[in-house]
Amino acid sequence: MTKTLSYYPGCSSQATGVHLDTSLKAVMSKVGITFREIDDWNCCGASVGHICSGHVPTLALSGRNLAAARAAGPEDVVTPCAACYLNTHHTNEEIRDKPEVKAEVNEALAEAGKSYDGSLHVRHICEVLVNDVRMDTLKSAVTNPLTGLKVAGWVGCQTVRPFAATERGGKWETYDDPSFLDDFTKACGAEAVPFKGKTKCCGGSVAVISPDKTLHLMKDILDEVKASGADVVSTPCPLCQTNLEMYQPAINQQFGTDFNIPVVFYSQLLAVAMGMDAKADAGLHQHLIPPDAVLSRAK
Amino acid sequence: MNALSPTPTKKYDLSFARWVYRNVDGGDRLALCMQCGTCSGSCPIGAQMDFGPRKLFMMIRAGMKEEVLSSNSMAACVSCYNCVVRCPRKVPVKYILQSLFTVAVREGYAQSVDSDNARFARAFWWSAAKFGRTDERLVTARFYFSYGLSAGFKKSMANLAIAKGMVKAKRMHLGLPHTCKNAGELRKILAKAAEIEARHAT
Amino acid sequence: MTERKTGIYLCSGCGIGDAVDVPALEGVAKKEFKLDSKSHACLCGDEGVAMIKADLEAGVNQVAIAACSARVMSDRFGFEPVQVLRADLREKVIWSHPANHEDTQALAEDAVRMVLTQAPKVKAPEPSVEGEWSSRILVMGGGVTGLAAAAQSAALGHDVLLLEQSDRLGGRALDASKRLPHTPPYAKPEANDIEALVAAVTGNAKIAVRLGCTVTQTSGMPGRFVVNLSDGSVETVGAIVVATGWRPYDATKLGHLGYGASPDVVTGIELEGMLKAGAVKRKSNGAPVKSVAFVQCAGSRDPDHLPYCSSICCATSLKQALELIEADPDTNAYVVYEEMRTPGVMEELYRSAQAAGVIFMKGKVKGVGADLTITVADELIGEEIPLAGLDLVVLATGMVPNSTTPNAPAPAEGADQLAGDVDPEVPFPVAGYCGGTAPAVHAKREQAIPDGGSLLNLQYRQGPHLPVLHDGFADSHYICFPYETRRTGIYTAGPVRRPMDWAEAAEDASGAVLKAVQAVRSASAGAALHPRVGDLSYPKVSLNQCTKCKRCTVECPFGAIDEDEQTYPIVNSTRCRRCGTCMGACPVRAISFDNYSVDMLSSMIKAVKIPDEFSGKPRILIMACENDAVPALDMAGIKRNQWSAHVRILPVRCLGSVSLLCISDALSAGYDGVMMMGCKPGDDYQCHFVKGSAMAAERLSKVGETLKSMMLEPERVTQAEASIADADRLPKVIDAFVEQITAIGFNPFKGF
Repeated sequence: MTKTLSYYPGCSSQATGVHLDTSLKAVMSKVGITFREIDDWNCCGASVGHICSGHVPTLALSGRNLAAARAAGPEDVVTPCAACYLNTHHTNEEIRDKPEVKAEVNEALAEAGKSYDGSLHVRHICEVLVNDVRMDTLKSAVTNPLTGLKVAGWVGCQTVRPFAATERGGKWETYDDPSFLDDFTKACGAEAVPFKGKTKCCGGSVAVISPDKTLHLMKDILDEVKASGADVVSTPCPLCQTNLEMYQPAINQQFGTDFNIPVVFYSQLLAVAMGMDAKADAGLHQHLIPPDAVLSRAK
Repeated sequence: MNALSPTPTKKYDLSFARWVYRNVDGGDRLALCMQCGTCSGSCPIGAQMDFGPRKLFMMIRAGMKEEVLSSNSMAACVSCYNCVVRCPRKVPVKYILQSLFTVAVREGYAQSVDSDNARFARAFWWSAAKFGRTDERLVTARFYFSYGLSAGFKKSMANLAIAKGMVKAKRMHLGLPHTCKNAGELRKILAKAAEIEARHAT
Repeated sequence: MTERKTGIYLCSGCGIGDAVDVPALEGVAKKEFKLDSKSHACLCGDEGVAMIKADLEAGVNQVAIAACSARVMSDRFGFEPVQVLRADLREKVIWSHPANHEDTQALAEDAVRMVLTQAPKVKAPEPSVEGEWSSRILVMGGGVTGLAAAAQSAALGHDVLLLEQSDRLGGRALDASKRLPHTPPYAKPEANDIEALVAAVTGNAKIAVRLGCTVTQTSGMPGRFVVNLSDGSVETVGAIVVATGWRPYDATKLGHLGYGASPDVVTGIELEGMLKAGAVKRKSNGAPVKSVAFVQCAGSRDPDHLPYCSSICCATSLKQALELIEADPDTNAYVVYEEMRTPGVMEELYRSAQAAGVIFMKGKVKGVGADLTITVADELIGEEIPLAGLDLVVLATGMVPNSTTPNAPAPAEGADQLAGDVDPEVPFPVAGYCGGTAPAVHAKREQAIPDGGSLLNLQYRQGPHLPVLHDGFADSHYICFPYETRRTGIYTAGPVRRPMDWAEAAEDASGAVLKAVQAVRSASAGAALHPRVGDLSYPKVSLNQCTKCKRCTVECPFGAIDEDEQTYPIVNSTRCRRCGTCMGACPVRAISFDNYSVDMLSSMIKAVKIPDEFSGKPRILIMACENDAVPALDMAGIKRNQWSAHVRILPVRCLGSVSLLCISDALSAGYDGVMMMGCKPGDDYQCHFVKGSAMAAERLSKVGETLKSMMLEPERVTQAEASIADADRLPKVIDAFVEQITAIGFNPFKGF
């Protein structure tokens, strides 16, 4: 298949989650998806934007992105970031479903000569991989199966909650026991180990803001990773990846543990399994904890 | 929808619950809460909240405005959405907490205004609105120093190892901030949006 | 009388022939009973049935079949009016015991012996049908339930006599503003449509309405009740539907909730009247009601008042709150509750009230001030919260059943009939409840007992009232036998039976009417009602044996037996439910049925071949209740659960029908132990005849002394509880008893 999608990379694509952006683009090139990046996109407001700005300014942020995407074409908007997905999806629905919101957002957009009618679909890239690309396509693109690699699939929260099981979210997964991440792992030829912490929360933005309040959450997740016997954690969420990786020293210090568990994106595993370069395509050199078990299997 | 919540004239304000039902995002469904506690039981951070969502909602019904808006419950939310997807009555719990947080900040409740989240949110919004994109380094620094110079310095030093690692991994950069090409345009849009937001309050 | 000619048929199908020696069973009939028998590989098949039918043509007038359980294939083996006796070789023999084992063979042979012994002891019952029978139905009460019952009885072709104590039809519904939702989507209060029902009844030629009329005396039995009325007339009716409804709990007892302290504290009933009258104003000053609090469970679920939940007060408060909010959307309506109870579709009304902004507070009311401030100990917040600024406080009071006529003088006798089965002062076992026992529901027993005059003033030996189950509700068993009272032919419907709302009451009326119709039709046919539906037998008393001990008249669970001037028992056949409790009670075997008697049971018991003590094989008799124990044992067989082959199971109508004489006969015959297996007696009884298993337990409690005098251990005789779901448990109970008896040792009377 070939398909063009409007791509919203989000701020993390230029910083903490740059290796998600790199590896995802590499994988897309192998499965027939063309990303058309939204022109001059801006921040979505993430999990905290609304606190001090309020409702309309937050909607205006995503409204500007959606207006730019619509101007470029009617194709679906996709994003790999959980927070970007929630904000953009939410804004899109508000504009589509509530005439008064549509009027207000467009009043703000008009300041820049822009407008948006609410006609686009906003989707998470994982949902596109499951519903449109499909697993068999991923499998058939694998040339370097990651045989023997044990992977704990950690979905986290917002990739599946609150939309994955609804029509609004593409009805592609369950909230508490999603299978797509393990399916990605299996498509790579690796082993998806049973992992109880699948949809546990790391603390999200609160982990960034006040790590002391959420280290215990990440410690619980790491305990379960350890119990699962996984070599590496795979996740779809840029904030999950960064939090779980960068706080391991702090967790070790506070709880007397000795965690040193690499955390990678599913797209990095897919890129390596599809025989691409570990650095240039998969970005596996950009980790605080080097994922040696993956690197050793790269071509 | 942003009219200020009614000022209590007695300890338990009878009209507060109604105001929340009508003015808080998702508040109309809050009326359907049957106090089963699934939200509080599902909350990963509930133990750190002054009041779990179930109790907070009951306090709203009892008209306990001061206690509700002074609590840390809203700021503690980690946005995992367990409560939203599990509520048997489809009460959008997280959205209600988020909207109440905005109310508490707007109405100047210190627990919320001075919360880590609100400080971070101000730093974050500053970056998003000024540059069109968030720059982790600048947002973090601005957030840390919102606690004052020495506290900010202490926080920065504590996280130096992480910052160094991120820079080395090329996931944090030291040059000019990331920015939209047309950040000026965004600022105009946001200024208008803020003006519209303010219209609601009157 | 024609000569008895019994056809004996054995089935070797369903694996019976593979597991036991069927020709040997035929040998038992031939050698021990001098009777010829026929066997067939599939007796219930067309060929087998044709074989039996050919014999019936040739003069066989009683059929004994040894095949599967009597509970199955009753249609294939039904040869009305020829009497059919059944011995079970399948469920309780080959499916529950090892194949081709000498003990299983012995068990099968004893089953054949028992049925062949039974055959000459019974005959096809001749029903009691002489005299005139009325098909008219008396309905007491002209409220929702009574009106619906009258209309539905008439629709089924019966003449109806409808009595109403007051001077108008419509009951309490006439005073209601709107009614609870009863049509989809069940989300909002609906129009009061009682006038239409009243019009339908008054316009029906089959229904005679008497206003201002009550019953002064009732005698007779189903099919011919003779009812004296307060207007001096005497009427004959076939069945009676009691739809006397309810009255609100006396709010003057609720001073702790502010009733009486202010005119603005009202009951839900009073608010209903205010809503019907128009815009609701404060009674104290005529000001509009802007803020109202409903106090749920006012005097309900309270050990000092009504111990039970009336099930409709929550929904009624929601309805009233919605009506107030509809009249003025700015009304602040609070509902203070301990648990919201909105059974069934009323949940939709609850949602509507929540969506309309009714504010719900879970907690106990600590007090109501003169300024109407309610102090609520809020369980969900954990604080005492004063609800101030209220204009109206509404107490949601509960329903009290009119199972007596309040304000009328109590009759001299029958107070015990109103005490109920359940002792409200005693904690009761509840499955799953913490510790297994729930606290007693009532601190003061006398408050749980209704007072006042008798509704029907029954001229029964056992007293004038309809016996109540508990909490004053007239019923016999909420779950298993709704509508049935303990007086056959008299059925309760509506809130006199249990608390219920308008729509439920109308539906309840249908249930009771169907029962009443069945009662009048069965009465004229001489057939029994629930649970032995269609049984044509009835107890016959041999007066020349009777010692006038009165046990039968006292113990009958349904008050079927009265006494004549000389205190001899008189059986009112259509009041009887054929449980045989009278037969079990009679110390001199004076009571028997055409097809069931102490002699029959004892003969069957003695028909079993008792091995001597040197065989090492005990024999244990289980007298098992046909209602639950036998089906559960059948189920155990179907599941291939195994139990000891040393037991012999004798089905009985009810443990109440077991005479102690049967037990002493068994022990004299050499059985090593006797188990009575039947329904649970006691407060939460499951006995299908209400008191049968309790009577058995009481009789058994007195058997110990007798056993001791026979130099036998009291542990040889026991009673075991069985429920329909006990298929897995009963085999273990049986085996444990066998083990216990084996440990005690053999019966020393063996071989005498």
